[in-house]
Amino acid sequence: MASKGLRKVVAMSDTSFDVSVGQGAPGKKRWSLLRIGGRFWSWVWFILGAIYFLVPLFATLRHSLRMERDVLGFKAYERAFEDPSFLETFLLSNALAVATIICSAILIVPTAYWIRLRLPQARRIAEFITLLPFVIPAIILVFGLIRTYSTHFTIPFTDIELFQPLTTTKFGTYALITAGYMVLAMPYMYRSVDTGMRVVDIRTLTEAAQSLGAGWFTIITQVILPNVRSALLSGALLTFAIVVGEVTLASFLGVDAFGPYLFLIGQHKAYEPAALSFVTFLLTWIAMGMIQFVTGGQGQATGAH
Amino acid sequence: MSYLSLENVTKQFGDAVVVDNFNLGIEKGEFVSFLGPSGCGKTTTLRMVAGFELPTSGRITLDGVDITDKAPNQRNVGMIFQAYALFPNMTVAQNIGFGLRIRKMNSTDVHARVDEMLNLVNLEKHANKYPYQLSGGQQQRVSLARALAIRPEVLLLDEPLSALDAKIRVSLRQEIRAIQKRLGITAIFVTHDQEEALSISDRIVVMNVGEMEQVGTPFEIYNFPKTQFVANFVGSLNNADAEVIDPANGILAMDGVHFKTAEEDFASRKKGDKVKFSVRPERFSFAVEPKKDNVIDCTIENITFLGSVVRIQIKIGNTNFNMDTFNNPFLELPAIGAKEQVMCSKEAVLVL
Repeated sequence: MASKGLRKVVAMSDTSFDVSVGQGAPGKKRWSLLRIGGRFWSWVWFILGAIYFLVPLFATLRHSLRMERDVLGFKAYERAFEDPSFLETFLLSNALAVATIICSAILIVPTAYWIRLRLPQARRIAEFITLLPFVIPAIILVFGLIRTYSTHFTIPFTDIELFQPLTTTKFGTYALITAGYMVLAMPYMYRSVDTGMRVVDIRTLTEAAQSLGAGWFTIITQVILPNVRSALLSGALLTFAIVVGEVTLASFLGVDAFGPYLFLIGQHKAYEPAALSFVTFLLTWIAMGMIQFVTGGQGQATGAH
Repeated sequence: MSYLSLENVTKQFGDAVVVDNFNLGIEKGEFVSFLGPSGCGKTTTLRMVAGFELPTSGRITLDGVDITDKAPNQRNVGMIFQAYALFPNMTVAQNIGFGLRIRKMNSTDVHARVDEMLNLVNLEKHANKYPYQLSGGQQQRVSLARALAIRPEVLLLDEPLSALDAKIRVSLRQEIRAIQKRLGITAIFVTHDQEEALSISDRIVVMNVGEMEQVGTPFEIYNFPKTQFVANFVGSLNNADAEVIDPANGILAMDGVHFKTAEEDFASRKKGDKVKFSVRPERFSFAVEPKKDNVIDCTIENITFLGSVVRIQIKIGNTNFNMDTFNNPFLELPAIGAKEQVMCSKEAVLVL
């Protein structure tokens, strides 16, 4: 149940991301009777959509407040926060999310850039690869990772050992799970970065920077990255939401992350999971609000190109 | 040896030859335009000088140094793009200072140089604005300042005015030319607009399908086009078919009407040869001197008012010609359908 709640958090942040990055607010509200006719259906669909998302959320909230009989209170929240495992797992998942975002950015920004600049014919292939995590379930990915990296890895036909099994050390496992998360986050990261690069004319900007004497590192860090920052942040937010709520990879790799923790208490407790689901949801929204706030001016700058 | 020279430069994309055996020497401080229709190879040639394309064969030298295979960021060239290409994340001042910071200039010097450049393009008030807050003309001036800040050895301009509206285009091209002259910088300007090329350049290279058609001053290109293509592409032109009547005296006939030409190698043609000849519209005028080389009967077909110029369509024999005359408020125009006489000198009759 808890994991379902979390999935919903992910799904919701997904759609609200689209809304906020897309057309934005539906213009000025004009309440004259004549005007409202044209907007009638838009409002109907908007309200239906809002109900679809808000009712389960409201139900979760209401449930979480009813731990004590006949009173509305925050008992469930107190209990949930008292458990030291909560903070531990939550912090670990946050750290893993940050690691995933940084590694993904380092991998994906130059890749998407190079494909746009020099290998436009490879774009279809890249898009196909980035969509694979939607098609292949996480369970297959995690078994693949375990099978490959839980043994001593030698260069084929020799006895030269390349690396120790990663799954036997804590650091190795964290590296492995971060890599797995990077795969899961790839569709969101790649697509938002790629779209961001389409908006600014990176080819001409690159040439302008080159003619001014800039090398590749300078171009990527000073010209490309700042101009895809808002796109990158959108991708990062989705990555964050996915990683914090992820269960499959974490439980099979034996990482004490927030996802398995929620799953666990969801099986034993009635009210705390609802409280935690609601808290994670709020955190996601706060993060999103912050991104909107931070990228507000920047989005305008690139948008007016 | 020229300051910037392109020797036998050829560029192929697959089987397509985009630039074919291009040879050109540009002197220091010279302003040269590459003029031609789209796909003529002018931009590709410019991009080879900038280093964004490598020539398939040939050599490019700048100030005696072979730069053919140098990376773009190893050449000291300033480039201006049609799409401005300002960095959206940087202010005007940061954009102008970008190339200087790359060169590890200390911040006091960067500051001074940026101020100098802002002054040069009259944008002192806009130093802290972002590109999206500026008009197209202002953005292109920032881009000019940014390219000049690094003291490039050559300034390359790739259709810099094409995205601007007509008035800004004219004023900015004058500004570019004035700045180029003041700094004495060598410049290559790519354009498909003949008026732009004629007004701004020391020399024009007219290009067509990868080949150089003619190189010369704007005056030469306009008045003495060497090929049919140049004659047609630069300025407007009347073209007609004719037959050689008297090679020695330069006489040809169109629809039974005789024209006299001053074309040099006309004498080498044979009587009865079919030729094409051309006359610019402004070389016709209404006949007032009966002794002029060509005094021709015509009928007025149509009159179009173009502002400073009035274009009159006349029919000579069975062929329509355009004739341009300057407008003035006291101009007396003939009636449509009237029979008139027009004249043009024998130098105006081009046989190409």
